[in-house]
Amino acid sequence: MSTHTKQTLVMIRANLSSLPRRLAISVSMALSVALVVCVLAGFLAMAKGFETALTGAGSKMVAVVLGGGTNQEAGSDIPAAVIRTLDAMSGDIGVFRDSVGNLVSSREIVVPVDMRQAADGTARTLALRGMDAAGPSIREGITLSAGRFFTPGAREIVVGDRLASEFGLHVGDTVRLGAVDWTVSGHFSARGSTFESEIWADLDAVRSAFDRQGQVQSLRLRLADPASLKLLQDKLATITATPLVALSEADLYAAQSGRTASLIRLFGWPIALLMAIGATAGALNTMMSSVSDRTVEIATVRALGFSRLSAFLGTWVEAIIIASAGAILGLIASWLAFNGWQASTVGANNARMAFQLAVTTDVMLTAGLLGVAVGMLAGAISAIAATRLPLTAALRAKG
Amino acid sequence: MTQGNDQDPYIALHGLQKGYRMGGEAIPIFSGLDLSIPRGDFVAVMGPSGSGKSTLLNMLAGIDRPDAGTLRIGNSRLDQMGEAARSSWRAHHMGIVFQFYNLLPMLTAAENVELPLLLKPLSRKERRIRVEKVLDLVGLAGREKQYPAMMSGGQQQRVGIARAIVSDPGLLLCDEPTGDLDRTSADEVLEMLRFLNRVLEKTIVMVTHDPQAALYARRTLHLYKGDFVEEKRAA
Ligand SMILES: Nc1ncnc2c1ncn2[C@@H]1O[C@H](COP(=O)(O)OP(=O)(O)OP(=O)(O)O)[C@@H](O)[C@H]1O
Ligand SMILES: [Mg+2]
Repeated sequence: MSTHTKQTLVMIRANLSSLPRRLAISVSMALSVALVVCVLAGFLAMAKGFETALTGAGSKMVAVVLGGGTNQEAGSDIPAAVIRTLDAMSGDIGVFRDSVGNLVSSREIVVPVDMRQAADGTARTLALRGMDAAGPSIREGITLSAGRFFTPGAREIVVGDRLASEFGLHVGDTVRLGAVDWTVSGHFSARGSTFESEIWADLDAVRSAFDRQGQVQSLRLRLADPASLKLLQDKLATITATPLVALSEADLYAAQSGRTASLIRLFGWPIALLMAIGATAGALNTMMSSVSDRTVEIATVRALGFSRLSAFLGTWVEAIIIASAGAILGLIASWLAFNGWQASTVGANNARMAFQLAVTTDVMLTAGLLGVAVGMLAGAISAIAATRLPLTAALRAKG
Repeated sequence: MTQGNDQDPYIALHGLQKGYRMGGEAIPIFSGLDLSIPRGDFVAVMGPSGSGKSTLLNMLAGIDRPDAGTLRIGNSRLDQMGEAARSSWRAHHMGIVFQFYNLLPMLTAAENVELPLLLKPLSRKERRIRVEKVLDLVGLAGREKQYPAMMSGGQQQRVGIARAIVSDPGLLLCDEPTGDLDRTSADEVLEMLRFLNRVLEKTIVMVTHDPQAALYARRTLHLYKGDFVEEKRAA
């Protein structure tokens, strides 16, 4: 071991073993770092959870066709003539066909509806999706967890598991959506993805209940394989009646989640950084008092010949250790508090969408590093003060 | 380490100037101090409070720097050395004993004594052997693991002396080493310093207020108004 290392180690040891003399102020420094870490972890976990919910919803095997020059379901419109043209296309268009050669597709519309919550009676806007009978089976990972799917033409709905539990909807219940009553025919699971925040019903039943006769917003098709999306896009380009886009369901949701997640992060970072500045000021105060508390000790070892560097590192490492302790505390707290916590936000189609906060490794790493950075910054400033102690004045004082 | 010519005084000060600034006003303490101390001397420095005894000692220790003049110890021109060089010089050439012992309270007696050895390329075992040897020398064998708070003032100061001599420096600087001790403990400490001077041939400069303490030295210098006014040689 070099003499520098030995000097530094003994300085760190001396600093840390004198910590009990400054217990209260050191604990408050750790706690303020923990708070900063918690806040940032909370926002990042929210953004992460949102992404996870939407990414899980999209499949690369499902193509979504949108019309009218938009990339979102809301505002999209596909004329009936286009669908007939598409149905009439023979040969390989990259899409899965049934045994008699018909396209496996689902025409869909989404209508926002208000529903009262079981717990507090407040109304929330949800997405009611009208679809063809093939709708559930085209999607991936959809399983029936209670009852049965809706009957074509009937005023029946199936609801996602998450909604069912939130709103206390049992199979056989009657719910008023729009101007008419609907019967809950079943519950479905979508492996926790955003689909579980939707209500599904027969396309024609939704059209007639909400006066949307003939409307189709999106067309879902089962792809032969993920690469055949390109072929479908080429075939769609030959239809010139209206601009059409085809994208994979995965891309559709990724684009949406990307926007919202960046918004959450854009909101979270400035708050966390502002708090980090406050925490840095607090940490600076703590570390300055640590330096003044150790003035005589630092001056003594410096008089013995210890280097300035060791005085710097001793103080700096102490600050980093306190901040790291705070960061770890903050991470444990945010993991316990946020991980898996339910949240909801306005998702696709202007409807509420539920998701779970996800405190992942990179969320923890980012938030933890911010906390440690607070200690590094405040520690460095105080450590410079420690190297500049006037030795003669310090040695005058009674040790 | 070159030891310098024996004809030369070990410590030589010429035209040394030092002052402090107080609110823009310069307060001179020394304006042209000369002093020479041969190797193996034991000098007591006395003088009224504020006469600059500690200031002088701090300059000899390389903790403080003269404003002008030359300050040479052995072959080292301390007046020309920067902070890092003086820091390293301190580690290798002198031991210092403080009035208030300045032990680190969170370290044991042995760990306090070991501190200067951490600045040298010594193994853990070599350090332990040296620490035990000096603690034995100052009569504290068996108290290695005690913390300063558990010791009397006299014992703490003996730990302080052990720390000052553990790396075997030629020069020992003491600022009122007995200023905080009762007569008996003070005499024990002074006896020890005399032993270090007579037997181990350490050069010692000791600042003191106590005329009886000064009797242990080979000679006493009196500092008054920035100069040595009287120099007398003890037996
Ligand atoms: N860092 C400093 N800043 C300003 N003035 C100082 C400083 N250090 C010492 N002085 C002044 O220099 C003068 C000499 O101080 P010094 O400590 O050397 O005296 P001393 O002889 O050791 O006194 P004492 O016997 O009280 O210890 C005093 O007037 C003191 O106030
Ligand atoms: Mg003094």
